Amino acid sequence: MTTLELLTGHPLSSPEHAKYAYLYMNRIRKFEEAVEDLFGRGMMHGTMHLSIGQEASPTGVCLALNIDDQITSTHRGHGHCIAKGADLTRMIAELLGKEIGYCGGRGGSMHIADVETGNLGANGVVGGGIPIAVGAALASKMMAKGTVVVSFFGDGALNEGAFHEAANMAAIWKLPVIFVCENNKYGMSSSTAKAFALEKLSDRALGYGFPGITIDGNDVVAVYEATEAAVRRAKEGGGPTLIEAQTYRWKGHSRSDKNLYRTKEEIDEWKAVDPILRFKNVLLERNFATAEELAEIEKRATDQVIEAVNVAVKATPADPAGLIDAVFKKVSA
Amino acid sequence: MSFLYPVVMPKMSMTMETGDLIVYYVSPGDHVKSGQVLFEVMTDKIDMEVEAPADGVIKDLIGVVGETIPIGKPVLTMLTETEVMAFDFDGPSEPMAEVVAQPVVEPHEVAEVVLTTPEPEYVPPVVEAPVVVEPLVVAPTAATQIKAVPKARALAAEKGISLSTIKATGPDGTIMFSDISGLQINPKIAARQEANRKLIAAGIEKTRSVPQTSFTRIFKHSSGKNQHWQAHLLTTWAGVLRSRLDLNISSINGEAGSDIGIAMIIKSIYGSALPVFHNPDLLGRKELEELYDRTTHQAQEGKVPIYMLSGATTTIFDLTLFRMSSNTPPLFPGHVTSLTVGKNSDSKKSVSLTIDLRYCDFYDGAELLDHLIEGL
Amino acid sequence: MSDRMLTMAEAVREAMAIAMEERPEVFLLGEDVGIYGGAFGVSGDLYHRFGSDRVLDTPISELGIVGAAVGAALSGMRPIVEIQFSDFTAQAMDQIANQAAKIHFMLGGALHVPMVLRTPSGSGTGAAAQHSQSLETWFANVPGLKVVMPSNPDDAKGLLLSAIDDPNPVIFLEHKLLYKLPGRDAVAEGSSRIPLGVSKVVRTGKDLTIVATGVMVNKSFEAAARLEAEGITVELIDPRTISPLDMNPIYESVDKTGRLLVVQEAPAHAGFINEVVTQLVGSPSFGSLIAPVKRLAGLNIPIPYAPQLERSAVPQIDDIEIAARDLVKSWK
Repeated sequence: MTTLELLTGHPLSSPEHAKYAYLYMNRIRKFEEAVEDLFGRGMMHGTMHLSIGQEASPTGVCLALNIDDQITSTHRGHGHCIAKGADLTRMIAELLGKEIGYCGGRGGSMHIADVETGNLGANGVVGGGIPIAVGAALASKMMAKGTVVVSFFGDGALNEGAFHEAANMAAIWKLPVIFVCENNKYGMSSSTAKAFALEKLSDRALGYGFPGITIDGNDVVAVYEATEAAVRRAKEGGGPTLIEAQTYRWKGHSRSDKNLYRTKEEIDEWKAVDPILRFKNVLLERNFATAEELAEIEKRATDQVIEAVNVAVKATPADPAGLIDAVFKKVSA
Repeated sequence: MSFLYPVVMPKMSMTMETGDLIVYYVSPGDHVKSGQVLFEVMTDKIDMEVEAPADGVIKDLIGVVGETIPIGKPVLTMLTETEVMAFDFDGPSEPMAEVVAQPVVEPHEVAEVVLTTPEPEYVPPVVEAPVVVEPLVVAPTAATQIKAVPKARALAAEKGISLSTIKATGPDGTIMFSDISGLQINPKIAARQEANRKLIAAGIEKTRSVPQTSFTRIFKHSSGKNQHWQAHLLTTWAGVLRSRLDLNISSINGEAGSDIGIAMIIKSIYGSALPVFHNPDLLGRKELEELYDRTTHQAQEGKVPIYMLSGATTTIFDLTLFRMSSNTPPLFPGHVTSLTVGKNSDSKKSVSLTIDLRYCDFYDGAELLDHLIEGL
Repeated sequence: MSDRMLTMAEAVREAMAIAMEERPEVFLLGEDVGIYGGAFGVSGDLYHRFGSDRVLDTPISELGIVGAAVGAALSGMRPIVEIQFSDFTAQAMDQIANQAAKIHFMLGGALHVPMVLRTPSGSGTGAAAQHSQSLETWFANVPGLKVVMPSNPDDAKGLLLSAIDDPNPVIFLEHKLLYKLPGRDAVAEGSSRIPLGVSKVVRTGKDLTIVATGVMVNKSFEAAARLEAEGITVELIDPRTISPLDMNPIYESVDKTGRLLVVQEAPAHAGFINEVVTQLVGSPSFGSLIAPVKRLAGLNIPIPYAPQLERSAVPQIDDIEIAARDLVKSWK
């Protein structure tokens, strides 16, 4: 298994930070590519939702978090999980239904979470994690932990009742929670233009009495800076912030998506603003790294994913024998 | 097209001459199905339900409830849809009557037998009228068609009782636990059991004054795997008696004869049943085995073929069924011999013989027992 | 021995107070649980005793409330949620059924959700169809939830303390009619627990077994008392927790009596009590039955408003008495 290598902080604060951020964005990309390949080979059960094209948002957000800060994630959650520091082998193993998978094969793609790195779980229900994040923030406040909670969700979740109830409660109780709306333009096939009468989705926050900000979600630096400000505000008792990170998913909603609702031209336009490529160019411009160094980092990410797959494939399949006993946590005597 | 068919007072035992009509279950004009109970009859030994021989319509009720009706006289008439064959006893179903303690006929007084004119010669019973006496190879009703509460079903299975013989008194014709438990047994069955016991007791009471003695012997014997023990026992004992026909005395007329009738004591819902196996040693073994199995099964359900109700000359109580050793058998009225056979262990059995000393000497008895054990 | 006669509302409040004193991570949240004291007065003075941080008034946001409880439970707290009427749990069902119930399982046991959702349940108050339901089967059919239905103050206290201790989500359904009724038994002093998943033999008898839940336990008890005068003795069993369900005392009782009457307030169709019957007929105790199993349950209708209509919708003492007598008299 790969060892945890966390180096949080501003991605441009040093070449090390920059390379670290670049590595994580690439790990997410390579991981998703590997998943797509495994799925294509028939090695994966069920479905999965890929976040290729959206790597700046989880990376930028998690660079602003400490290990004991918590996140709630979504059905498109592989990136959040990796950015928070999860082990790639256990993630792949979960997708392959193995005993060493994060959920022992019981959760799969939509429920992967590394609790050790503060992940409270990905969620198969749109908006399902938002009230949970608020509750975790409530606990943080009640227990005076000094931590924050980030709730990742997509544009579609902003129209769920769960968001409204949770946002209001976070606001009235001034909870240390940051709502990160990864607006990738589509809730499955419904464009934000069809689903919202708002220009900026972050304006939703105004209705609840806390700030909302819309940022370029494909710019890892912008994402970091917005999150860092929100974290600071939350820790100072200022309450929640809504960050709308505008981004785009290159792949379909899920494996069954035929992309009937959008054009190839639109996809190509967004590919041109590839968050990884953009960050790479920044690093080269600022001489934070050479092209060779960045190529080496890309290879490292690739090797880490390949190694994870190789280990996970050989791992023991999850055993149905334990299922009945897995429903409840044992009551300790 | 229909056929006028008189349903008559059935003859059910050798000595039966009349029967009392207890109750009608039908009225004129009723459509009845074959097998449906028409009326109930009581004699000194038998309560019997008389059933329709075929589908049809009841025409006239001739007998009067409460009256004594001679056998063969019509009790009612019905118009049947098909012609009912009379005298057809070769069919698969024997005419049958319900269980009675058969051998307990009025015991003849020996002196009288010797001194008076013999009664008419023993004639194997026949049913002289086209009666349909409970066509009682009751079509085996599948257990699932009978409604019974689970515990009643379990108890019936445990006791070896067929649910088809149980009168359901529960809601919707369901057999209740109490219908079987015996704690609150069906009063009708209880009455019959009591009457049956009284009859046997009265008979045994009468033989208590008979001078008698008993012998017991234990012998090495284990029933072979494929041996039908009861058939073997019946055949062997009949063979022994056939060599001493002077000791084979009819309980009907008190005379020695060549018709050997062995009454086997069997458990039935109405108490001890004693179906008589006539000349078992002259039957084919397979035939006898089938007869025994069929009869014991039917007897357990309270039915015995009419021809097996009378003509016993001796009695066997097979205690091996209960895994116990033999005991001193009671002498049944009119019998000179009576046997119990017991099981002492897997390899040992025991036989006890009681003899009527007025007909049988001590050494005769000892020899009979010897021969029997040899044969077994 | 204590001889304190408390109402169920008082007993539930006492349990919450004990738990809050024992554990700093226990807190109560819900609509109007604070200074108002709860819609049915259950939280009472807890707000004054423990402060607004631990007796937390919430907006009218059932989904948000339960979600917040789930999140807090995942993060080290031990929340008690009060939903004003069990009917409103429909608003919160995603958090109850999809989140709280499944997180422990889905995440491979890495997290667990120690929370209790208390909610007033049942009919009899004239509150009509959206405030009177008995929804235990909704929850009982979701693996991962424990479901408790106390029928008296003493059980309510001991079971609630166990529910709060439990590391899993527990739905605690409190029948409204029981809130103000003193129980038959005194409420134990102190903090002793009654374990979840242990059925209680409320009274012993030899002629008939009645299995009843919630307020139907009390109604069955009254019916049994009437029948006793006729020489019919009823063994009354209260499962107390319907998930997990303890069938053993029911098997033992039916082995003894041979007759079973099951009673619930919830509609008959697909109701919890049918589970009791199904498990029984699949057990060796099936062979002990000397009578058909009889079910008394709510009609398959929404709870109506007018008092005579409302009464007719759910089993009453007379109904139980008649059904019980009929079973004993008709089946021997």
